Amino acid sequence: MKILIIGGGQVGFFLCERLSAEGHEVILVDRNPEHLRQVEDRLNVLGVAGNGASAETLEQAGIKGTDIFIAVTDLDEVNILACLLAREYQVPTRVARVKSIEYTGEGAVLSKEKLGIDLLINPEDTVAEEIARISCRSGSFDVAEFVEGQIQFIGYRITPGHPLCDLTLKELGEIRGMYRFVVTAISRGDQTIIPRGDDTIQAGDNIYIFAHQKDLPALQYLLRHEPVPEKRRPRAFILGGNHIGLNVARELEKLRFEVRLVERDLERCEQLAAKLDRAMVIHAEGTDIRTLLEEGVAESEVFIAVTENDETNILSSLLCKQHGTGRALALVNKPELLKLAPSLGIDACVSPRLSAAAAILKYVRRGGVISIAAIEGSNAEVLEFQVKEKSKLAGLPLRSLHFPAGAIIGAIVRQASYEIPSGESTLEPGDRVVVFALPGALARVERFFE
Amino acid sequence: MNISLTLHILGAMLIYLAGTLLLPIGVSIAYADGAALFFVEAAVITLVAGVLLLRGTPPGKEPSVRDGFAIVTFGWTVFALFGALPFWLSGSIPSPLDALFETMSGFTTTGASILTDVEALAPSLLFWRALTHWLGGMGIIVLSLAILPMLGVGGMQLFKAEVPGPTADRLKPRIQDTAKLLWGVYVLLTILQTLLLMAGGMSFLDSVCHAFATMATGGFSTRNASVAAYGSAYIDWVVILFMFLAGVNFSLHYQALRGRLVTFRRNEEFLFYLAITLTATGLLVFFNHGTVYGGLLENLRYSAFQVTSILTTTGFATADYEKWPVITQYLLVSLMFIGGCAGSTGGGMKVARILLLFKHAHVQLYRLIHPRAVRLVKLGSLPVDREVMQAILGFFALFMGVFVVASFLLAACGMDLVSSGAAVIATLSNIGPGLGSVGPVDNYAHIPAFGKGVLVLCMLMGRLELFTVLVLIFPSFWRR
Repeated sequence: MKILIIGGGQVGFFLCERLSAEGHEVILVDRNPEHLRQVEDRLNVLGVAGNGASAETLEQAGIKGTDIFIAVTDLDEVNILACLLAREYQVPTRVARVKSIEYTGEGAVLSKEKLGIDLLINPEDTVAEEIARISCRSGSFDVAEFVEGQIQFIGYRITPGHPLCDLTLKELGEIRGMYRFVVTAISRGDQTIIPRGDDTIQAGDNIYIFAHQKDLPALQYLLRHEPVPEKRRPRAFILGGNHIGLNVARELEKLRFEVRLVERDLERCEQLAAKLDRAMVIHAEGTDIRTLLEEGVAESEVFIAVTENDETNILSSLLCKQHGTGRALALVNKPELLKLAPSLGIDACVSPRLSAAAAILKYVRRGGVISIAAIEGSNAEVLEFQVKEKSKLAGLPLRSLHFPAGAIIGAIVRQASYEIPSGESTLEPGDRVVVFALPGALARVERFFE
Repeated sequence: MNISLTLHILGAMLIYLAGTLLLPIGVSIAYADGAALFFVEAAVITLVAGVLLLRGTPPGKEPSVRDGFAIVTFGWTVFALFGALPFWLSGSIPSPLDALFETMSGFTTTGASILTDVEALAPSLLFWRALTHWLGGMGIIVLSLAILPMLGVGGMQLFKAEVPGPTADRLKPRIQDTAKLLWGVYVLLTILQTLLLMAGGMSFLDSVCHAFATMATGGFSTRNASVAAYGSAYIDWVVILFMFLAGVNFSLHYQALRGRLVTFRRNEEFLFYLAITLTATGLLVFFNHGTVYGGLLENLRYSAFQVTSILTTTGFATADYEKWPVITQYLLVSLMFIGGCAGSTGGGMKVARILLLFKHAHVQLYRLIHPRAVRLVKLGSLPVDREVMQAILGFFALFMGVFVVASFLLAACGMDLVSSGAAVIATLSNIGPGLGSVGPVDNYAHIPAFGKGVLVLCMLMGRLELFTVLVLIFPSFWRR
């Protein structure tokens, strides 16, 4: 497919990297020729220098015959204008990153329908949603939903003394009689592997499991390290009263969290207090641990740092962890730090860039793929497919199909029922299948379901 | 300030007043009470004074904020002065000060009376007495929802006659148009109550007078025994209902009439007002049970009536609450300070101010526990401006200050402790009956002239939200 990307910022670069790796023809338009050259050096894409909102530049970049148009510059107006131009050139799929709630909010005067944009992505909104989703699962750090939320993909960090620690997958299989779930991947250090029966879960691992929503409570009981007394409402500390912090606070208020929002600017504090109902707004610096301790950060279930500064986020998360906060989440923008943070002991790192890119990828590749999620710190992905009518795969047991190595089926959903697959399971037309795939196997998995 | 412009506007107002003075003539002719001539005289005097003022001064520009204070204060004062003419000319109230007291009590919708025998008055004078209430109430609605917010008095900018939200919900951009809408509601409710009272067997004149006095939260009755004279549970409940409605912000009524009943449920002041009414009634029923009233229904009827009458600052009476247990009297006195909702015809400190004062106190306490927490005082879901909160705190201090000074002055006239305090709060909150020698079955006739003068000022100040009147004391106000 021919894909035109406007804007070589973080999101643009990430999209180029992913889409070109999957063998698409990617053209990147950016104003800065120097920047373009760097991208061209590192990735297999074609760079065109110029303004993305100019018809001339777009023609130069070969907009005619483009299948997918993605505008992700830093300027909302440029992105919107570029998409309007793309509509004139009859590009079938148009995606824009838009930060202003003028366009994305409810009751927007210029909605995405009127603008002719298929998908409007606001990175700050997607990341806030992601943070809220992670916050309400205790012990887990990465959650994605498939098949309308029926199938949950959850990452757990294995701490020393965890009930699953030092178990082999085979031993785990016996427990699976009671608890229905699949361990699809273990990430250990830099490596992500798809485990076999004799692999052992070790302390320090991250494990990724698939489970049906209905089985989650039982599962959480099994995976919970220490039973948490549920006397009061869970407390969440949020550091950073920016747009993301406010959105997270609102989401968590809805989820009946006791929210405490820390912001260092007094005027902004007052604005936040005006916008929030129950949340307590605290005027303090993130590293002012004494104030945070006085307000009870040590007894809180989760600490979420979302300031603009990655280092502040990481440091304050670590400080709070040290003082006994249940879990710490940090917003990390720099890709280099994103890999480092989990090894320091932060429970989850989220990046607006990754969230937005994942949302765009999910939308762009919806041919046979229904939804996907990217996994932090590795390039592995989770994809959802639908088994086509008259598919050759139908009716045969999985063991006799040559399913690509480096990928594993996590769940099969058939109308109202679902199945955690074994070698004897069969696929039927119309089934929705959730697959975990390492980067090398992605293309083969897609071909498998063609 | 622009004195000639102020006088010009006062002249125009007097001409309107002359027009209203003609209305009781119809009643006088219908009842052949022989008082028609006094109204004609009063109307002519008022008209002449009005025309002289209007002609003697050049029509000026738009009045400034400062002129606004003078126009409102002196407007109310000249209305009371000229409105008193029929009582004085007819000889029904021989003392000019007493006549002024009675009319000021009317126009400020207080309902405190110096008359020992109301029923001795000619029907047209009774009608005029009630009409002063009704006209005063009309003035108050516009004053509290449009004019005072503009002048920024005592945090009243918070209650500007518009519902926060999309522009479609606003009332009207011009004061005149807003006033017409709100008066429409006022007139509609008055007609409705008149009809309901007539259905209960009250005469037409009595029904009109009582509807006037209820909707304006005034309290002048045509009977010595007030509403109790009719001895009808039906009439009591109708009056309770309409007193309650008169104590609600009229812009809410307007929204409700347009089919938006949700505005009641979303309005925090209304909900608090409802809560106070229900709680106070519940407490009174509880404490009166077995001591004053045996039957629950009778108990509820009398308790609810006194609560709404005092809280909305109407001041009708159906029971001598001085014979009730002290604790219930105490509860009623507490209600006297609260008053109706902002934007209603009720007086007092206003429910919204009390609510915000409590919220402010709560935030102060909260800050002691969480010194770094930032917490705002909110009404509904909107934060209250710091200036508004300060204006409200200032209002509270001033209200209490005026209360202390005025009751000190009354005590200096030889009144006892309870009566002097009660007389001041009953006039300052524009209620009418107080406790002690000015209780629900007494009147203000026995107070010395100096005391009456103090109370007249209290009525005026309380009605015009203190600041409007007190700002005139500053010498710098009068300088250009």
